[in-house]
Order: sequence, then C-alpha cells, then structure tokens
Amino acid sequence: MTSQNPAGTEFVDAEVLREQVKDKYRDVALDPHGEHHFHTGRALAELLGYPRNVVDNLPDRAVESFAGVGNPFSLRTLPEGSNVVDIGSGAGFDSFVAAGQVGERGRVIGVDMTHEMLDKARENAAHLGRTHVEFREGLAEELPVETGWADAVISNGVINLCADKKAVFTEIRRVLRPGGVLQFADIANGRPVPVEAMRQIDLWTG
Amino acid sequence: MLEDCGFTGVDIGPPVDTFRGARGEEKARAFEVFGHAFLAHRQ
Repeated sequence: MTSQNPAGTEFVDAEVLREQVKDKYRDVALDPHGEHHFHTGRALAELLGYPRNVVDNLPDRAVESFAGVGNPFSLRTLPEGSNVVDIGSGAGFDSFVAAGQVGERGRVIGVDMTHEMLDKARENAAHLGRTHVEFREGLAEELPVETGWADAVISNGVINLCADKKAVFTEIRRVLRPGGVLQFADIANGRPVPVEAMRQIDLWTG
Repeated sequence: MLEDCGFTGVDIGPPVDTFRGARGEEKARAFEVFGHAFLAHRQ
C-alpha cells in the first residue's frame, strides 16, 4: 500500500514507514540515552517548557524515553475529570502529565504500536499507581477507542510520522465528542521539502 | 487540513527549537523545522 499526501502525490509506503518508526522507537524505549537524532528525557522536557515540578515528580523510567517535539499542554490545560486519548503515548510521559491534570475523576488512554514502549508505559503506570491511566496497542489511523468517548486528544511528535495524516485527523474526530479538543505538538517546516526528499523514508524517521 | 477533517478554531503556538544541539539539528536547519503546539475543536 502506498499512501498519499493531501495533494494526492505518492510519497512513501505506509507499512514500510510504520516498521521503520517502530524500529526507531524500540531503540528509544530500550536505549533512551543512546545516539538519537533528537533529544530525549528530562533535558528535552525542560527545553520544551514542561513545568519542572511536574517532571520532577515522575520517576526516571517514565521520563527517559520521552521524545516529543513540543508541549501539547502549552495552549490549554486539561480540565479536571476529562477523558483523554494520547496518540503515540510511548513510555507514557505525556499520559502521566495528562493524568495529573485530569485527576482521578478523569481517565487517560495511551495508544502506541511499539511493544517495548507499551511494556515500559504499563510498568510505569503500575509503579506510579495510576489506575486511571491505561495503555492500549493500536495505530493512529485505527484507534482502539469508542466513538465519541474523548473530551480531549493529545499527541506529541507522532502525526508527522504517519503517511496519511488526513486518515489520522479523521480518526481523531471519530473518538472526540462534539466540541472536544485536539491539542497536540508536532514539527512544521518553514521551507518546502523537495518531492525527492519526501520519498526518502529515512528522512521521515531521522 | 484540520478544517477539512471537521475541526474549527485552530490555534498554533510559537516555534520551539526542538532539535537545537541534537544530532538532527543540521537537517532541521535545512528545512527550518521547529516544534509547535496546535489546538483545534471538533465541530
């Protein structure tokens, strides 16, 4: 299957891209301090403006594999009691930040496709005793979440790694209730990327 | 694209130099890549 951009130009094979993304983030789960093309962990959280007291309250295992590109909470704090879906939740860093904002009357479902990240996130949730946070295996294009369940959807540095972004946003709309909020962080480029470069799949993942 | 998918009230936060000092900085500079926060409401 070859996916298309919004203009209909074929760029990359979605399945090949997905496997390369899994490989990349498997490394980040197992070797968070290894050589990656992006920052990780507490230093990254500080660079992106997460409140220090929030990050300091999380154990190393819950922070070290964080590899976001921005702060999805910078434009809006999640209301207490909200149901939240975290797309590409990794080892759970943003899910745990969200859990702190929504409190125990709220609920957070993290979704990820990389087994090593899911294992780590579930261990972290158990260690933290966060019973209102759950991690499910799934894809951004096929979220394992009931239609209209979410008050908010968050994501951080994930949608840019999906070949069919329109499919992702359509799926996000499905799981959000009417009036629900999508708040995410991602990269944007100021200079156009040549089509030849868009077809180089390694450029998508680093 | 967000509007096309049924979202409204889109807001974009200021750029963050997320690759500053990282191994990917050179590629990020080549295409002026920055991180942003985005906000949108489901219609």
